[in-house]
Amino acid sequence: MATASSSQNTDWQDRYYHIDQVLDKPGPRTDPAFLAGDGVKDFLRNQAKILVIGAGGLGCEILANLALTGFKDIHVIDMDTIDISNLNRQFLFRTKDVGKPKATVAAEFIMKRVPGVKVTPYFGKIQDKDDDYYMQFNLVICGLDSVEARRWMNATLVNLVDPENPESLKPLIDGGTEGFKGQARVILPTITSCYECSLDMLNKPTAFPICTIANTPRLPEHCIEWASVLEWPRVHGDKKLDTDDPEHISWLYNVASARAKEFNIEGVTWSSTQGVVKNIIPAIASTNAIISAACCNEAFKIATSSAAYLNNYFMLIGTDGVYSYTFEHTKRDDCPVCGGDSLELSISSEFTVEQLIDLLVEKQDIQIKKPSLSTPTSQIYLQAPPQLEASTRPNLAKKVSELVPPEGEVTVTASTLPFSLSLRITYT
Amino acid sequence: MKQAMSESQDIEIATTAIVTDGQPDSKTRRYDRQLRLWAASGQSALENARILVISGSATSTSILKNLVLPGIGHFTILDPANVTPADAGNNFFLEGPDSIGKSRAGEAVRLLGELNDSVEGVADTSSLEDILAKNPDYLLGFTVVIACNLENEVLEKLATLLWEEEAGPALVVVRSAGFLAEFFIQFHEHAVIESHSEIAPSLRIDKPFPALLEYATSLDLAGMDPTDHSHIPYVVILVRALEDWKKSHGGLPPQTYAEKKSFKQGIQSMKLKYDEENFDEAESQAYRCWTDTSVPSDISKLFQDPALSSLTPTSAPFYHLVDALRRFTQEPPHTLPLTSALPDMKASTESYIHLQTLYKTRAEEEKKRFTELLDVPLDDALVDTFVRNAHGLKLLKGKKWGALDRDPGDLLKALATTPKELAIHLSLSALASISAKHEPAITVEALTAEAQALLPPGTELPDEFDDAVGEIARAPTADLPNTAALLGGLVAQEVIKVITKQYVPIESYCTVDLVETWTGVVKFA
Repeated sequence: MATASSSQNTDWQDRYYHIDQVLDKPGPRTDPAFLAGDGVKDFLRNQAKILVIGAGGLGCEILANLALTGFKDIHVIDMDTIDISNLNRQFLFRTKDVGKPKATVAAEFIMKRVPGVKVTPYFGKIQDKDDDYYMQFNLVICGLDSVEARRWMNATLVNLVDPENPESLKPLIDGGTEGFKGQARVILPTITSCYECSLDMLNKPTAFPICTIANTPRLPEHCIEWASVLEWPRVHGDKKLDTDDPEHISWLYNVASARAKEFNIEGVTWSSTQGVVKNIIPAIASTNAIISAACCNEAFKIATSSAAYLNNYFMLIGTDGVYSYTFEHTKRDDCPVCGGDSLELSISSEFTVEQLIDLLVEKQDIQIKKPSLSTPTSQIYLQAPPQLEASTRPNLAKKVSELVPPEGEVTVTASTLPFSLSLRITYT
Repeated sequence: MKQAMSESQDIEIATTAIVTDGQPDSKTRRYDRQLRLWAASGQSALENARILVISGSATSTSILKNLVLPGIGHFTILDPANVTPADAGNNFFLEGPDSIGKSRAGEAVRLLGELNDSVEGVADTSSLEDILAKNPDYLLGFTVVIACNLENEVLEKLATLLWEEEAGPALVVVRSAGFLAEFFIQFHEHAVIESHSEIAPSLRIDKPFPALLEYATSLDLAGMDPTDHSHIPYVVILVRALEDWKKSHGGLPPQTYAEKKSFKQGIQSMKLKYDEENFDEAESQAYRCWTDTSVPSDISKLFQDPALSSLTPTSAPFYHLVDALRRFTQEPPHTLPLTSALPDMKASTESYIHLQTLYKTRAEEEKKRFTELLDVPLDDALVDTFVRNAHGLKLLKGKKWGALDRDPGDLLKALATTPKELAIHLSLSALASISAKHEPAITVEALTAEAQALLPPGTELPDEFDDAVGEIARAPTADLPNTAALLGGLVAQEVIKVITKQYVPIESYCTVDLVETWTGVVKFA
């Protein structure tokens, strides 16, 4: 089989000397279905179309690796612009690029550095794109720092699966890092455990009770939260706090410092103020390199069948030696995205609707902000639009048991999630 | 008072960044996300480090990228080769066909240099053989030397040279072929004070210091204002409850399951109102009353180190500190020095800050005692860091590169303990031996024979070896971009730990299998 003409323009002799060694013959563990040689190279270099979500710490690495391994039609989505604090790891950006869109700058850099690779950037949100857009790709790799965006992407790809059409199943490879730690995983929507299935593995975000912040501060964080959550709105009214604006951080720092001094609390600094209000997660080039390489290696193996792909979760901890754990995360039958069963929830018959909402927000395996609730026949509480919110608000104080029969079904939705959660309520 | 000031400043510097008031400068902003991991002290160590990387391969530049970005002081790429078409295809720090025929070191240094203006990069086109023969001292001027897929003979010479110099640079040996890889760090020893251990130091509730005991026992619990009562920190509740318990139990803490249960019930019965959360917290932390605060075994093992029995004023400060710690623990209450790190707990501001002040004052006193036990004067900031991190101290003893392959006994142990990790190591060792012979074809049979030659006669190779050796024979000279990038991250991470002396680097071979996506460590001790 001849190599298609489109890559002949830019591929020089021996360009793929290294990669072709694993594409020209199988290894001992390679699936017998692997077609070594020109066929697999043609698919990788001329047909495969891959989408990268995020052009930040992981995204920069992912784009470079994909380009070098021979993917030539790469798309990238990112809604952010470049900040100076990105430059310690996002190696496609320079000081002169600060303020420009990440997706665009990254795409241009890759195309300049790796001849013949086409990178199509989109500076915007993943939610701007519809199913038809996502349908065009063979694979999706996520390098995101947001749980919400991952849940959206995961649910979108699960919903895209049409059992009649094998092409509709898009493998999703997801990476994430925090300091010296990270994880990479392969999700085959509807077939393996999905992002939503493993939500309870996430660390619970630290939240400080408002009464501690207001009345009994003990830690520098309590003083900083007081400045941002209580003092900022009190002093500035409707003016929105911009955590990227150094002047705003300085204001919070001064206010928090004064409060800390009043209470004899030590340790409020400009840097800790910024860390708390922006929820900054430490990030370094090396961890991003490890996780991105693991993700891209999976993409390469899936696209070429040259070796088996990860089944299905790789976790790395680099603080004490190099510790990693590879395991199969199992699918949850009651996963609201990929499972068929409703989630069983047992509550007291005295529970009010408001308490149920608080419980849903709290629960680690649900993590839903501002949920709306309904039964198959009626609306219990809707967050929006304002008229419906007002008309359903009286239900908040009512007992759930007055509105939902035992074993009754409640559908939970939220504007941030492209899926609904089905609960089966029982009473104690 | 003055001492308390300096301590709080040290804590601020260590836990945040360079700037403690006002907006940070542009350098602090650039490095913000990493300063939160290794602080200004780690950053300064990086900026003073000099790295030598041998060869400008894809793996070499991937490693360097992750050291240039965080701001290493200096790097040299030593590589006499010119860029081949194959290099231009798999190395991001070459400019495709435009770089072909040019110096590989020169091109890579130029493109890596663009990542960070404050890093100095040098391209050296000499051959390592020449340097070893004519100017070996040049190699000793680096902090860390990294060798990627270097031929056995010259690698052995390099490893020996660096090993013979007690305080010479650490050597990182990296090998890869296709989907498999390994690396090893050669060093004599590596002491870590700031290991960033995730284990919190003891609050010493079982052995309360006098001021804490005095405070806990002097509180008039029954006559107290109910609001104050619901804001007593759990530490104080537990110290009080334990003291009362001991009075009626022959001076012993709760020991049996029944006693512990009854102790917890006792805490619940101290409540004035059912919703006093501080007492619930005390109950959930009650195990601290019967968890003996003593010197952790890892730390007392350090006291046996031969270096302590031959201390001289010029011995490394670490040993003087460990020796002072040893003497400190010989005095009652036979614990490590107290740290002032107090976790958050249900409490009023006043009661919490009061408790915190008790801990801080006592920690200062114990630090003072510790300092008196030091044989040599040491910088106060160093003593402070040591005392605060004493519960997580690490002393790694390294080995010379290649020692494992010369010890069939250790290889057998490793084969039994970590067979799949050792399979990768043996395959890569076998590949290096064969490559040195410049044979035309690298076959599974030839590789297996080389591996077998390292082991005692008749040793059966595990099934994992077939998997590994087959992959090596498939792609013996492939420096795959993803493997290179992953190694680039892992190796740079370990080099950062070695240079900053923070966190804990690996002690043996780290092996990587990117077919099944795992990393492991060869174990033979």
